[in-house]
Amino acid sequence: MMLDEDQALIKKTLRGDRRAFEELMRKYEKKIYSFVVRMVRNEDTAVDLTQDFFFKIFTVLDKYNFEYKFSTWAYRICYNLVIDHIRKNQAAVDSLDDESVTSRDLLESGNVSREDGFKALALSETRDYVWRVVDQIPLKFRELILLRYIQDLKYEEIAEITALPVGTVKNRIFKAKEILKQEMEKDGMLI
Amino acid sequence: MACLSDATLIAYNEGGLGAIAAAQARDHLLLCPDCRRAAATFRALDLILAKPVLYEPPPRLVPQVTERLFPAAARVTSIAAAIAASFVFLVSWIYIYFDFSSSSLVQALRLTANGTSGWLADVIRGITAIYNGAQAVAKALGALLRIVLPAPLGTIVALLALSSLLAVTLFRPWLRKARAKRS
Repeated sequence: MMLDEDQALIKKTLRGDRRAFEELMRKYEKKIYSFVVRMVRNEDTAVDLTQDFFFKIFTVLDKYNFEYKFSTWAYRICYNLVIDHIRKNQAAVDSLDDESVTSRDLLESGNVSREDGFKALALSETRDYVWRVVDQIPLKFRELILLRYIQDLKYEEIAEITALPVGTVKNRIFKAKEILKQEMEKDGMLI
Repeated sequence: MACLSDATLIAYNEGGLGAIAAAQARDHLLLCPDCRRAAATFRALDLILAKPVLYEPPPRLVPQVTERLFPAAARVTSIAAAIAASFVFLVSWIYIYFDFSSSSLVQALRLTANGTSGWLADVIRGITAIYNGAQAVAKALGALLRIVLPAPLGTIVALLALSSLLAVTLFRPWLRKARAKRS
């Protein structure tokens, strides 16, 4: 069986190669950490959860099935870990997911710099603005946007990870984009 | 024809519409500037989302995990130091409670060395040199121990402490790894 880069690293890790697991962590740490930060919206918690994720991965690595893609398997573990954490801390998440918190609130709070609208902003500023709006949309939409764009997953993979039907995943992502567009229109970010 | 819904525009951009629906959408977009603008907005949004703003994880994140999962093996120097300390104290203890002043074994070895030549003589000289060195250290420490630990109980406590130190030095990496796995 042909092994991809991740699987070769897993094989080495299972033989006790510390560097191989370190390489695997380095490869995924930024995406995993970014995903977790945007899910829980707290950097300290995100550090703990990302570390917990790597511990978890290490302890169940011998159960990994080499017929499947490592990233999908790992993201599912990460997703479950984060969702468990969020469920245990439901009150905090609910208050943060208040739909009345709009990107306008963010702009007024000074978290996003805005000049004369969408087209007047530099690309990096536009990116920052859009991703800050993403951070404010309700969790059920946000999680799918994060899996789709941060983890770069296909609809089918997201459906597998979240245990949702593919149609629901698509509809929610479409809805999330509609919300983003509406927010941008409200903020006058679109010309 | 009515304007296209946002969902249709997004699906059109992603190439997710069937052939007929896609053709209808394309025809409508040719005629409708509002829908063209909306489609362009979703395309721009897609491009922006496809380049996410990633957070930089703190530099300590991976090293901390690695350290807990793969604690470094006890350093050779610390193991050697612990063994040497235990050896010296053991010899000191034996020196206090047993009379080796005659050193008959060493005398016998010396005589053997005098009567032989070649590598065997060198080995015996090496052994007697090590013994003499250890004996000198033991003599000094023995004198010290006589002052500090006059009772056999004190010596036993000292030996137990040294054994524990040696065991902890040797097995610390495995203990830490087991603890990391448990947590």
